[in-house]
Amino acid sequence: MGPGKPPPPPRTELDGFLAGAGYKVRSSDLHHVAQRLERLESAMVSSPSHVVSHLTSDTVHYNPADLVSWVDSLLSELTHSYHHPNNSSAPTSSTSSSSHSLPVDLDDLFAIPSAANNWLQPEMPLSQPPQLTVFTTMEEDSGIRLVHALMTCAELVQRGDLHLAGTLVDEMTALLTRINTGCGIGKVAGYFIDALSRRVSGAGSAPASPHETEILYHHFYEASPYLKFAHFTANQAILEAFEGHDCVHVIDFSLMHGLQWPALIQALALRPGGPPILRLTGIGPPSPDGRDTLREIGHRLAELARSVNVRFAFRGVAVSGLEDVKPWMLQVSPNEAVAVNSIMQMHKLLGPDPSPIEPVLSWIRGLNPRIVTLVEQEVNHNQTGFLDRFTEALYYYSTVFDSLEAACPVQPDKALADMYLQREICNIVCCEGAARIERHETLAQWRDRLNRSGFRPLPLGSNAFKQASMLLTLFSAEGYSVEENEGCLTLGWHSRPLIAASAWQASPLSAAIADGDN
Amino acid sequence: MAGSNEVNINESKRVVPLNTWVLISNFKLAYNLLRRSDGTFNRDLAEYLDRKVPANTIPADGVLSFDHVDRATGLLNRVYLRTTEGQLAWGFEELEKPLSTTEAVPVIVFFHGGSFTHSSANSAIYDTLCRRLVKTCGAAVVSVNYRRSPEHRYPCAYEDGWTALKWVKSRTWLRSGTPNDSKVHVYLAGDSSGGNICHHVAVRAAEAGVEVLGNILLQPMFGGQERTESEKRLDGKYFVTIRDRDWYWRAYLPEGEDRDHPACNPFGPRGCSLEGLIRFPKSLVVVPGLDLVQDWQLAYVEGLRKSGHDVKLLYLKEATIGFYFLPNNDHFYILMEEIKCFVNPNLNCQKR
Repeated sequence: MGPGKPPPPPRTELDGFLAGAGYKVRSSDLHHVAQRLERLESAMVSSPSHVVSHLTSDTVHYNPADLVSWVDSLLSELTHSYHHPNNSSAPTSSTSSSSHSLPVDLDDLFAIPSAANNWLQPEMPLSQPPQLTVFTTMEEDSGIRLVHALMTCAELVQRGDLHLAGTLVDEMTALLTRINTGCGIGKVAGYFIDALSRRVSGAGSAPASPHETEILYHHFYEASPYLKFAHFTANQAILEAFEGHDCVHVIDFSLMHGLQWPALIQALALRPGGPPILRLTGIGPPSPDGRDTLREIGHRLAELARSVNVRFAFRGVAVSGLEDVKPWMLQVSPNEAVAVNSIMQMHKLLGPDPSPIEPVLSWIRGLNPRIVTLVEQEVNHNQTGFLDRFTEALYYYSTVFDSLEAACPVQPDKALADMYLQREICNIVCCEGAARIERHETLAQWRDRLNRSGFRPLPLGSNAFKQASMLLTLFSAEGYSVEENEGCLTLGWHSRPLIAASAWQASPLSAAIADGDN
Repeated sequence: MAGSNEVNINESKRVVPLNTWVLISNFKLAYNLLRRSDGTFNRDLAEYLDRKVPANTIPADGVLSFDHVDRATGLLNRVYLRTTEGQLAWGFEELEKPLSTTEAVPVIVFFHGGSFTHSSANSAIYDTLCRRLVKTCGAAVVSVNYRRSPEHRYPCAYEDGWTALKWVKSRTWLRSGTPNDSKVHVYLAGDSSGGNICHHVAVRAAEAGVEVLGNILLQPMFGGQERTESEKRLDGKYFVTIRDRDWYWRAYLPEGEDRDHPACNPFGPRGCSLEGLIRFPKSLVVVPGLDLVQDWQLAYVEGLRKSGHDVKLLYLKEATIGFYFLPNNDHFYILMEEIKCFVNPNLNCQKR
C-alpha cells in the first residue's frame, strides 16, 4: 500500500463494485473466493469428462449471488463426484438444502385426473402472435392523456381535493369512450378510473364473499401461470424439505379449492422409499350456508391420496382471517415435520397497528417448521402515500394485464381472472386502514422482515428454476420469464418480476439474536 | 497441463484488481459449465446464474430506465434516460417531448457482449454499464436484447440490431436539437459481440441511407480461420482461450461455415471493402492489450482506414477483457472520457 491510496474497505463490508454486478461478496472473502476459483479451474482441467459433465447437468446450484457458497458447493460437488463416480450427488451439509434433483417426472405432477377438480390446463394455442400492449410502449395520444389524467387525479386525492378529483374522474370517463377498453391501456385505465370514482364518492369497494373470492381465484389460476408457478415452486421446496421424514404436516394458509395439493400428494407417493404419512391442515373462511367447504375439499384430497396409497388426514380450520388462528388449532405434534405454506396471504396481515404480522410470524416460528413457503406479489403496494401507491399499482397491474392478454386464456377464465385483479386494484385504491388488505410488499421487504423475525432463507435451486421454466413453456405464451434472485425465484412478464417465491426455516434461537443486525 | 495453468492464473492476477479477477474468473468458470462440446448450450442454467436487474423508472443517481417491448417481434429494449435535479419519477407526459430543444443529446444504441451467447440487456453488469454511460456522456442509452446463439444464429443478432436502430430513429421523444434541426442523434456502441453487431448494423444503415453519427466498438469480437500471433501468444493467459472463441463462432455462424465468413471476418478473404460507402460513420475502436483477438481487432481498424473511413484506435496496453465492468482501474476512466468526447463533438476535449 503506497501513499495516497484509499484505505481498504472495512472487512465485513460487501465489495461495492461486485454488488453492482449482482454478486454479494464481502471484501474480506475475496481471497477465499479467488482461491476456490483457482482450485476449481485446475480441478476441471484435470478431471475426467464425466465429472465435469456432472457439474453441468446434474448438480443443483443455489443462490449464485452468494459467490462464497456457490464456489464452495461446486468444489465439494467436484471432489465428491471425482471420488464417487457412480453416485450422482454429494452429501450436503446440514445448513444447505439437499442437492438431490427431484426424482419426479414433470408429467406425473400434472397427470392427475380429477373430474370434480379439473385443474389441468388444456394446451394453449401459441400460434397467434402476441398482441403486446406493454404499458411503457404507449405512445398513442389518448393513452398518454389518460395516464396523465390518472396521475393528476391521484395527486388531487392525495391532497384531499376530492371535488376536483371527481370532476377529473368524469372527464376521464368521457375520454374512455374514445378508446378501446377491451384491452391494453383502455382496460387497465378503466379499472383505475372506476376505483378512483369509488374512493372519491365514498362508495368504497364492496367486500367479496368467500365463495366469490374462491371462484375468481380458480379462474385466475386457469388463466395465467402465476398461481401454478406459486404452487409448483412451493411444492418442490416442500418435497425437498420433507426428505427423510415419515410424518409430515402441511399447513395451508388458504386452502381455496386445494389446487396445490394433488401434485404434492402424487409426488410424495412416488418418492423413493415410499410416501410419508401426510397431514394437511387447510385454513379458510367459514362457509355461510351451513356447508363445510373445507371438509368437502379435504374429502376429495383424501380420496386422491387413497388412490395413490398415501396415508392422509385432513383438518379444516375455519377462521375469517389468519390473525384469528391460534397455534393450538393446528394440533402440531412434536414428531412431525411441518411445512407452512402461504400463497398471497401474508400481506393481509400488514395492516395498521396493532399489526398482526409479528404475532403470526412468532407462532409460525414457534411451530419449528422444516420449511415456510412464501409466495407474494413482487411490488410495494403498502406505501403510506396515496400517489406513490397508485403509481406503483398502475405500472404493476398494467404489466399483469398485458401478460394475461398474451396468454390468450379462454372465456370465462379471462373475464373472471380480470375481475380477480380488479378486486385487488379496488382494494389498493379505495380502501384504507383495516379494510385495505392488499398490502403487497416486495421480496426485499419480506426478506428483511423474516430475517428479523427469526427465520433464515432456504435457497430455491436451479432444478426448481429449470422446472418452472419448463412449466412456462407448457402453459404460457412467450414473454414470461423466471429469474433467480438470491435464492428466491420470481416469475415476471418480460424482465419485470411480478410474483416472488421464497422458502424459509426457523433460525436457531441464538443465531436469531446475533443475526438481527445483518 | 497444471503447470502452465498456474502460470496463467498468476499472470492474470497480476494485472487486474482482485475483485475484477474474481468477477471475470467467475464468468469464465460458469461459461465453461454452460458450453457443451456438442455445440449445444445449457440455457436454463445460464439464465439461472445470470444476475439480472429490473428496470427502474424512479431515478437512481440521476438515471432512470424502463423497458419497451416491440409488439410484433417481442424484442425488448431497455431505455436509460438522464433525469434532471429534483425530478421524482418519470411520467408519461415525457413521451410527448424531445430530449432537448436547445442542444444535441446523443442517443447510444448499445449492444451488450457475451460472444453472441451470454447475457441480456437486463444483466446486472450491462445495466450498470449503461447507467454509467448515461451519466458520463449525458446521453440516452437504448440497450438491445438481441436474440442469442446457438438458438438463434447469424443473422438474427444483426436483424434485431437493425430493427432496434429503426425504432430508435423513429421515436420523437429521443430527438434533440433546435426545432429546425431536431433529429435523433444516434451512435452505435457495443462490447465483444456487441461491437461486431455495431459494425454490421452500421453497414446496413449506411447502405440504406440511415444516418448513424458514430460507432463505438469496445473489445469487438472478430476472427478468422488463420491463427494470429496474438491468439497464439495470449491463448489461455488472460481468461480467454482460442478454444472458447472457436466454440462461440461455431454457435453463431451458419452451420458448416468457417471463421472467414464475413460476419466474423469483415475485411478477410470473403469480406468486402467499404470504400465508397460514404455514409458509414466514424469509428472509435477500443483494443485491450491483453485480449487474445487483438490482431483481428487491429486488422479491422486497418480495414476501415484502407476503405477511407475515419477511425480512432484506443489501444489500452495493460487492459484485459472486461476491464470496463468495474470502475476500479485507469483504463475504465480513460475509456469513459473517450466515449464522452466521441459522442459530444461540441465538447472541448483534450487530444490524447
